[in-house]
Amino acid sequence: MRALYQFAKLSRLKFVSHLDLQRFMQMALRRTDLPVAYSQGFNPHPVMAFASALAVGWISDCEILDVKLAENVSEDFAFRQMASALPPDLPLQRVRLVEDSHPAMMAALSAAEYRILLDGEGAKATASAIGGYMAQSSVIALRKTKSGEKPADIRAMTLALSEEQTEVYTEDKKQTAYSNCIVNNTSVCIGAGAEAALRATLMLTERATLKPDLLVATLAGRAGVPIPSMQIHRLRLLGEGLSGAADLMDL
Amino acid sequence: MGFSESIDRILPGVTKPVRYLGGEYGSVVKEVQPGMVRYAFLFPDVYEVGMSHLGMKILYDVINRRPDAWCERVFSPWPDMHDAMKAAGVPLFSLESRTPISEFDLLGITLQYEMCYTNILSALDLAGIPLKSRDRANGPFVIAGGPCAFNPEPLADFVDLFVLGDGEQSTLDTIDAYKQWRASGLPREEYLRMAARIPGVYVPSLYDVEYHEDGRIKSISPKKGSNAPELVKKAVVTDLDAAQYPETLIVPYGEVVHNRIMLEIFRGCTRGCRFCQAGMIYRPIRERSLEKLTDLAEKLVRSTGYDEISLMSLSSCDYSRIIELSREMAGRFEKRRVKVSLPSLRIDSKLKDTLVETLKVRKTALTLAPEAGTQRLRDVINKGVTEEDLMRSVRDAFEAGWSAVKLYFMIGLPTETDEDVDGIADLARKVVGCYFSLPKDKRAPGLRVTVSASVFVPKPITPFQWCAQLDQNTVIERQQRLKKALFSIKGVDFKYHAPDVSFMEAAFARGDRRLGAVLERAWRLGCRFDGWSDHFRYDLWLEAFRGAGIDPDFYALRERAEDEVFPWDHLDAGPTSAFLLREWHRAQRAEATPDCRLGCEGCGMKRYEGVCL
Repeated sequence: MRALYQFAKLSRLKFVSHLDLQRFMQMALRRTDLPVAYSQGFNPHPVMAFASALAVGWISDCEILDVKLAENVSEDFAFRQMASALPPDLPLQRVRLVEDSHPAMMAALSAAEYRILLDGEGAKATASAIGGYMAQSSVIALRKTKSGEKPADIRAMTLALSEEQTEVYTEDKKQTAYSNCIVNNTSVCIGAGAEAALRATLMLTERATLKPDLLVATLAGRAGVPIPSMQIHRLRLLGEGLSGAADLMDL
Repeated sequence: MGFSESIDRILPGVTKPVRYLGGEYGSVVKEVQPGMVRYAFLFPDVYEVGMSHLGMKILYDVINRRPDAWCERVFSPWPDMHDAMKAAGVPLFSLESRTPISEFDLLGITLQYEMCYTNILSALDLAGIPLKSRDRANGPFVIAGGPCAFNPEPLADFVDLFVLGDGEQSTLDTIDAYKQWRASGLPREEYLRMAARIPGVYVPSLYDVEYHEDGRIKSISPKKGSNAPELVKKAVVTDLDAAQYPETLIVPYGEVVHNRIMLEIFRGCTRGCRFCQAGMIYRPIRERSLEKLTDLAEKLVRSTGYDEISLMSLSSCDYSRIIELSREMAGRFEKRRVKVSLPSLRIDSKLKDTLVETLKVRKTALTLAPEAGTQRLRDVINKGVTEEDLMRSVRDAFEAGWSAVKLYFMIGLPTETDEDVDGIADLARKVVGCYFSLPKDKRAPGLRVTVSASVFVPKPITPFQWCAQLDQNTVIERQQRLKKALFSIKGVDFKYHAPDVSFMEAAFARGDRRLGAVLERAWRLGCRFDGWSDHFRYDLWLEAFRGAGIDPDFYALRERAEDEVFPWDHLDAGPTSAFLLREWHRAQRAEATPDCRLGCEGCGMKRYEGVCL
């Protein structure tokens, strides 16, 4: 049996690297009574995988950790055990138990939805450039890959893009002395009063990935303004199901 | 823009921002209640170093178990972060709640080594707290403890009060006194007077120092009417089983120096090595029971998820039931893939059993510290270890599957000659010979012997507090001599460092109040993170000494007369001057003093009621 855990990574921990988070989760599993399956070999470690690495500096509502269990457990047990092993800034949102034969999360992943908050000079102009961008049938940009920079059609990888109202999240929930941060299960701390906000659905597969920062840089370039500062917030991971795109957790 | 946001804005531009995030599993966040005492605990070095320190973990837990107090952590920002904070106008803040340090009630600082003193000034400055205690009209009281608090005089101008000895109780006492003072509405100085009555608390501003014309100290005594004690006795926790010990720990995200469960199995040491300050100031020996230790280990493994437990103490093989303990721990945790390690191994016959027990779990590095190269010099320093002991342990270790051995020595010990230095190379050669004398199928491949030689620094409250440090030129000559001698031995690595840091450390270790001016000058000239070789600026330190008109040789290189008044003579760390002097005499005659569990040596701890058996 496998447990698919969905958790958020709140603003406070946005500079925790993927590698550190991996180590952290290995230790977190040791704090639970879950019958975690261990790898064979000289240095056994829990059999687990993330659906997708989150870049340093981003925040997320939808990270998925896929953990292999050696025995069956109830969903309730699986949730409570993991929830108690995580700190407030990595809140657990849900768990889904699946068979071992369930597709690997990483392979099933097709796209991600983001909120991109823009700030500083160029923010508004960058946001205004989305209409012209979406009207193109193709936009070529230099994409960084493991083997250097390569031109790619990023328009084709932009599945949806729109401007959002800039919201200021209220800070009423569970106020602690960490006063600028909201600690609750659904929303993460973001800076008050961003100048513009985008909502984007971008391809995220092993072969074709468009990162929000490249999209923003391209938009700014088209608008002829400097690249604004941005806060990237991953909202949903999507997979290709039988009836089209769906939340990766529900495939 | 909120304060937290202004921090977030500078983090992307600095190295390892994870140092400044907080939010780790196990960190304590409380709701602020009226009347709560906010305590900031500063470790004046970088996060990875500070998070490896046991004392901070203990006091963090002790304070946070109180509902009326909240202890938060703060570490020295690395220079890049420090400069970014300065540029952005972001003051020093706590990790848990990102509260500016100046808004706390108490600021506790742990003093683990002298070369972190400039970081304390950086921290105060970055917090916006006046450097000198007498200039503070409000803001937190600055409290310092830890081993260097036993000679706190170089910091006397900057620290409001020092806490000597075990902090478990005295830290709580300083909080109680603070609450009392706050409720009283009395002026700031009154808190210091109240604190001076707490066992183990020393308030430097309540004492006057007089000097002889030649610069030596004439007397240190409480100011008239201050009611401060003539002699401040250190605080001692008598029963470690009853003392609070954390049952959970903060689990850092990034890598830290010691990322594991630290289980303190006992405090104090009975060996009486004459160079060792820890062995003197942490007296007497107090053990945690085996039952308490296994109970704590169970809780800590469960609550942290760590896969390693380190059995900590000054000399772990001296635990009275060490074999039983390691067998119990190894058996209990093996199935859960938790390894058990023993740091600071002593060289003796008990070692073999212990090695075999811990090896079952997983191999850990073997470190042996003969400290000196000849039997004569080991007798001078009272390191009760013979060459036979060493060779037996090394053979056991090689037979048990180790192939890497670290050997620790010191250069510049009192009475040392070239012959003693050559002795280090001889020992290394014998260790290598021992490895190759074993049949190939009985030893692990890849021999690695590391010889590490540090420069001896005479420390206060040791029998060597009277002796001169060896001058730097001679140290360098002897380092080169050793380097040459070791060069020809296959499989041996030699590690040593420039003696200038040790020279500064020696000046401050036995320094007096007048060094406060040097410290401040050095800091203003740009000295910080002096314990990090890439940041240490010897030229600036010398400039600071010159500028203050003070000669560092007076403190580091001068042998003291037996009747000299030391800057710490009004502080009682346990061992009496009479005992230390007796040991100094024995050292000069190369006479050993046995382990005091074999018979009381009269060090003075019996003056503390119910503490030493």
